[in-house]
Amino acid sequence: MSETLVDLSPTVVRVGALIELFNASGLSRLVIERADERVEIARRPRIASVPFAEPLAAEEPHRIDRLSADLVGIVRLSRPMPLQGETLAGDRELAYVEALGIRNPVRSRGAGRIVAIPITDGQVVDYGQTLFEIDRG
Amino acid sequence: MFRKVLIANRGEIAVRINRACQELGVCTVAVFSEADRDSLHVRQADEALCVGPGPVSRSYLNIPNIISAALVTGCDAIHPGYGFLAENARFAQICADHGLVFIGPQPSVISAMGDKATAKRVMHEAGVATTPGTGILDSVDEARAAAENVGYPVLIKATAGGGGKGMREVRSADEMERAFTSARSEAEASFKDGRVYMEKLILNPRHIEVQVLGDSFGSVVHLGERDCSVQKPSHQKLIEEAPAPRLSPAARDALHEMAVKACRHVGYTNAGTLEFLVSGDDVYFMEMNTRIQVEHPVTEMIFGIDLVKEQIRVASGEPLGFTQADIRVRGHAIECRINAEDAEHNFAPQAGTLETVVFPGGLGIRVDTHVYGGATIPPYYDSMLAKIIAFGDTREAAISRMERALRETTIAGVNTTIQKCLEILATREFREGRYDIGFLPALLLSTAAAH
Repeated sequence: MSETLVDLSPTVVRVGALIELFNASGLSRLVIERADERVEIARRPRIASVPFAEPLAAEEPHRIDRLSADLVGIVRLSRPMPLQGETLAGDRELAYVEALGIRNPVRSRGAGRIVAIPITDGQVVDYGQTLFEIDRG
Repeated sequence: MFRKVLIANRGEIAVRINRACQELGVCTVAVFSEADRDSLHVRQADEALCVGPGPVSRSYLNIPNIISAALVTGCDAIHPGYGFLAENARFAQICADHGLVFIGPQPSVISAMGDKATAKRVMHEAGVATTPGTGILDSVDEARAAAENVGYPVLIKATAGGGGKGMREVRSADEMERAFTSARSEAEASFKDGRVYMEKLILNPRHIEVQVLGDSFGSVVHLGERDCSVQKPSHQKLIEEAPAPRLSPAARDALHEMAVKACRHVGYTNAGTLEFLVSGDDVYFMEMNTRIQVEHPVTEMIFGIDLVKEQIRVASGEPLGFTQADIRVRGHAIECRINAEDAEHNFAPQAGTLETVVFPGGLGIRVDTHVYGGATIPPYYDSMLAKIIAFGDTREAAISRMERALRETTIAGVNTTIQKCLEILATREFREGRYDIGFLPALLLSTAAAH
């Protein structure tokens, strides 16, 4: 003989217990249907509230060029030392990779702003290793 | 002993060399291409440097980057493995010029013996019987003329060749042009050396090779022979075993003696293999491989000797730790190459990502591999995934154990040669040890005809 939820306080207790179990589970939705009753419990995704703000002016995405090594060797920064944040007016030698006694220059290949120098002077570098990141604006 | 060794290779042999170094207390440097960044040898070595993008010529054949990697990490020596730069005399010389020990024979010996056409001439001078043939052929016309002398059918072979690459069979004069040009271009692509020569095609011989080791004090020993006759139509080996079955004591002794004689004649040092074609009672020297070979594990299992460690020891100036009298064969070993290939469709190579990978184990089973579940197979390199080696007290025990091991093996995600190996092991020819290099091509044809 099936139980029916007629008396309210037992209903609250039962649904409360269900909610506790549901919250502890990984379920996102639970529906229980019987002849004369239906219980549905669902999780609503939490939406972070976004403060009202002025729409951003349309902007061109920045092009970041990665200058990477195509040799295995030791990287040496050129003098004057290129610095992070520095703006380059045009093509300039930034460093060289010393390999097998030969200096292989690393040039900026144009103007831009140095956004990152993830290497240190005198470090071993291998093929594909990023030497400079340049924002072409 | 070296302090640090650079491993100029990839895949299972790079793992193998890394293990030998670790056991000798030697630090290792792995080099890898961008496609091999997640490879096992890269994870296991003490240091690792990327030397180029996927394509072989820009990475594993990139001599400047490899030498530079060895120098900036302070290596004493470079182990070239097999393939790639292993038999490149120029690379061996460049190593020496930069104060790096090349773990292998001297550059002059690599030139003499690694160049197949020259090796035959040298062997002939040493009094070793060689397969009838020619020196380097420069044109199709020269090849046609030579074939009239040698007598069809003939084989056009790359002098810098190995692994079945740069080889073409020619049955008649009108096949010559196509065979000659395609052999040359394959040789150029695989070995950066397009020169070819010619040999008489001996019909259905056995391919039996002898392992040798020489040190810098003049000691030369042989470590028995291997039967590598189970070959695909492309002449690439699939199953190897040691000792060779059904070989008369006289033929066996002759092979071993010729191998040692040849090595003494050229002053051979480090590891090497002399390959012979055996047809009935006739034994012909074919070529010498001046490197460690893929199938070296079967020899290691029956002698209990670590060949890669011996290579490193010899290169570092130590004498061989044993004489011929000290070593004996015990038992029998078989190796199956598990390749990412579709054996039902001409062994077409497969690339992709491996899913579940389960390798066999237990007494008498050895697995040499670089792959693991989730590993990707790059498209740039050979298709070998693993070598499964079974050892037994007898040949029957080794076969039985190999069958058990292959049935335990799971490599999901690509087609492999596991089933084909099981099929070969079940044949009467293999079980009786009565097979030659015509065996597998014939089996493939009859299986195809049955479908």
